[in-house]
Amino acid sequence: MNRHPYSGILGAALLASTYLAVSFLTGCNSSNFHSPVETIAATSGTPQSAQVNTPFAAPLVATVTMGGSPVSGAFVTFTAPTSGASGTFSNGTNSETDTTNSSGVVMSSPFMANGTLGAVTVTASVAGVIASTNYSLTITSGPAASIAATSGSLQDATINTPFGAPLVATVQDANQYPVSGAVVTFTAPSTGAGGTFAGGANTATTNSSGVATSAVFTANATAGSYTVTAAVSGVSTPASFTLTNVTGALVSITATSGTPQSANVNAAFATPLVATVVDGSMNPVSGALVTFEVPSAGASGTFAGGVNTATTNSSGVATSALFTANGTVGTYTVTATVASGAEPANFVLTNNALNYAFYVSGLEAIDAGPNFYALAGSVSVDGNGNVLGGEQDYNDGIGITSPQPSGDSILPGSGALVVDPATGQGTLTLTTNNTSLGVSGVETLAVQFVNTNHALIAQFDGSATSSGSMDMQTLSSALTDGNYAFTLSGVDPAYSPIVYGGVFSISASGTALAGMIDVDDAGATATPTLGTAFSGSITGPDASGRGTIVSSALPAALNYYVVGPEAIRIIDVDAADSAVGSVFGQGTGTFSSTSLGSSVFAVSSNSLGNLYAAAGQFTVPSAGNFTGVADDNEYDNGTLVTAASIGGTYQIQSTGYGSLTIAPGDLGDVSVLGVYITDPNLNLNDPNNTTTGLGGALIADLDGFNLNGTGVLVPQVPNPSFAGNYAFGTQADNNTRLPTLGWEFDFVGQGSVTGGTLTASGLLSDPFAIFNSTQPDGTDTARFSGTAAADTANPGRYTIRLDITVAADPTYSTVIYQANDGQLFWLDENSNGASVFLGSLQQQGSLAALPAAPSGSRPKP
Amino acid sequence: MKPLSIGMCTLAILLLAPALRPVQAQKTPADSAVRTFRYDVADEVTITGTVSSVLAVAAPGMMAGSHLLLVTSSGPVDASLGRFGLSAVGSSANDRLTALAGQHVEATGVIRMHKDKPVLLVRTVNADGEVYTLRNEHGVALSPQARKRTAPQTDREGESR
Repeated sequence: MNRHPYSGILGAALLASTYLAVSFLTGCNSSNFHSPVETIAATSGTPQSAQVNTPFAAPLVATVTMGGSPVSGAFVTFTAPTSGASGTFSNGTNSETDTTNSSGVVMSSPFMANGTLGAVTVTASVAGVIASTNYSLTITSGPAASIAATSGSLQDATINTPFGAPLVATVQDANQYPVSGAVVTFTAPSTGAGGTFAGGANTATTNSSGVATSAVFTANATAGSYTVTAAVSGVSTPASFTLTNVTGALVSITATSGTPQSANVNAAFATPLVATVVDGSMNPVSGALVTFEVPSAGASGTFAGGVNTATTNSSGVATSALFTANGTVGTYTVTATVASGAEPANFVLTNNALNYAFYVSGLEAIDAGPNFYALAGSVSVDGNGNVLGGEQDYNDGIGITSPQPSGDSILPGSGALVVDPATGQGTLTLTTNNTSLGVSGVETLAVQFVNTNHALIAQFDGSATSSGSMDMQTLSSALTDGNYAFTLSGVDPAYSPIVYGGVFSISASGTALAGMIDVDDAGATATPTLGTAFSGSITGPDASGRGTIVSSALPAALNYYVVGPEAIRIIDVDAADSAVGSVFGQGTGTFSSTSLGSSVFAVSSNSLGNLYAAAGQFTVPSAGNFTGVADDNEYDNGTLVTAASIGGTYQIQSTGYGSLTIAPGDLGDVSVLGVYITDPNLNLNDPNNTTTGLGGALIADLDGFNLNGTGVLVPQVPNPSFAGNYAFGTQADNNTRLPTLGWEFDFVGQGSVTGGTLTASGLLSDPFAIFNSTQPDGTDTARFSGTAAADTANPGRYTIRLDITVAADPTYSTVIYQANDGQLFWLDENSNGASVFLGSLQQQGSLAALPAAPSGSRPKP
Repeated sequence: MKPLSIGMCTLAILLLAPALRPVQAQKTPADSAVRTFRYDVADEVTITGTVSSVLAVAAPGMMAGSHLLLVTSSGPVDASLGRFGLSAVGSSANDRLTALAGQHVEATGVIRMHKDKPVLLVRTVNADGEVYTLRNEHGVALSPQARKRTAPQTDREGESR
């Protein structure tokens, strides 16, 4: 703003006109007409101070004179710094121009401090005049609102000696601005372990950063840990410094146990973290407080109860609380620190991914199905259910076979295991690089965990339906030399059902095998062929536990996936045929007819075989002879045998290779079973279970062209309990309600058994639309209920009318055979010949630390 | 399928069964020592008749799978085609047995008792000069995939499917 100044002083019109012209051209200012002797002086408003973000109390005032006389109408510009501690005038900027009054006095608008502490110099000047004046302002913090121990805590000092570092506290105002000039009072315990400040000076004043530094603090003569507080007026909660007076010299800390070690994600580490604290003379320091610190993000873990400190015992040893890995895979360092500034001790820990081997077989709906198909693989997941990668082999023997030798890759980052942590039920989505299978390469499996290590599964995406299991892998670089039993079931090159069973030994550091095999091939000219000696070679497992077995007695190309040292899944991967099965270790002993005692057996055809299933139980009155009860549902043969008394003979060779013959006619067409004894310390349903349900045998039905199949035989314990939570998985065939043939459906589920009554829910795979309500994607949920009635004449045998409730309500007359508390088999024996199924019920164990994203995003809750 | 005709068929086939038995070979002691039934081509009979009904799905009480109910000179016959009997081998409609009521067919197989009723386990069906093989010589039902694998490379009328 330009105004015409001083018109009263200049009387001549010509001069006035000249002035006006000049002022217009130059952006005129009064200074143009005042001599250099014009001066400006700050007359009030300096010095002064204000708290951050508040106005200074007094305006900035200046007086302009010339030759001792006040200059009226002079333009005075107040300018504050553009950065750092500064402020703004009422125009919102750091500068404003005001005009002197008749007394030559000019006054600024209120000046508002900004948010930066410090000194502020504001300049007042008259344009064109060299002289200017300054205002000395200071921006200060608010009153103290908090005090914190900044450094000096967690120190050790030898008794009667100074601590290495002073105690440092920082005082801040309510806005976290440092408070300078605050007096901090340090207070040590008046008795026991403690100390004194040099010169008795237990106070310190904060500097411009709000920091108060104590005088040197010296430990007294009493050893032990204690707290020194730092207090400031106006703050109720003091800061605390944890100090320790130790005997002897300064301490050091080392990690003496618990490093390095690894644990699976979400699982506890096997050993605690142990640190040892010693003094300079290497004497153990007792009573020292050790703090364990973990990474705050990424791979890390937590201490039980959130307790991350431990106090050393008389041996100087501090032992952490139980440490549990979080869900993220990776290696990281946990530090253990002790006061005195000793170098921290490091514990190198690794959270491992979980690897699961899975296998299923069933009927494929894609590829102009129904076709038999088999799938086996290994998938790696983190503790949050994210799929990290894997490999698999898929084979329908008629069009879709994973490329060899690579197999299919399970791609990382695009699949997930989503499970209800309470029930263990959910889905596993696998995205593969093979777009021919699943739904454009994506397979979804229904998953029912029996325990953290073991799940029953079924393909659950409408592309196929099947049943199988998924078990945590223990990987190794080679198969373990020793003796094994195996069975394999599928279709031969003529697409006729075929089963294999036998025993073999692995030798030469896991590279060679030799044994004896039975084959029942419905497509052969003659079948079965029994007791054929064979041999072959093995390639070692890769990082997913996958390798190959080559033998002329087996399918042309056979891959395997390791579950553990005594459990392997095998799958035929040549395009001409298809099969899948298991290999189980036999332990170190030899066998005889006494190796078989009271047992439960369950056997069934595969999904494209002559459909049937049979289950039963028997006792062994004398070695080599058995008697018992069994049920048999031969769907394709139209034969149903219920609660039949069975008897017969069996023989077991020292290798565990044997046979069992049910007297012809006792159990429909089921008569000749191959028996292949497994390790008495191995659970065939849950190979990672080393405590319950141990022992038994793999069996193969070798009834020639009429029937073939595979199954298991499990020792039966007396008076088992059938109560609690059970998981189940079942492969079924059923006539449809539609005017077409029925095919396979599968289900997994979970529920409780109370007083013999099962109440459960599960996931049902039905791509062939057996149930009217099945959704277009071939998947559904179902409820299961029924009450098991004990067969008093045959303890261990029950009958149960099982309701599977979807939209319609099919009911299955089912018989159950119980081997032990945790292993039962149920067999559908509907008298209308419209269905057949065989499945297992397995008692649920701990589901803690399931490697899965919590449910809530389950596909069909 | 009407319940009335099932009952009539059952009655008739029961009457027919004794007449068929002499055709079957007796099982050897060795056979009976290991199983109660064995399909043997030596036991096969060939029955010519007219299709009275085609059952895609077994009616309650019948052996699972597809059936042809035939009217023969000796009475009705329940011909079991098995689980895959009416399934297509390939994508063409000609790849499946499409017997129609009233059609004259020739079925070859072995008689087996099912729930005390005789059933013809059909191995081959000749319909309009086309021979469909539904089971192998051991009585094993042939899936469409198996039939495709075992069929001649050139699939012409009159050849086995």
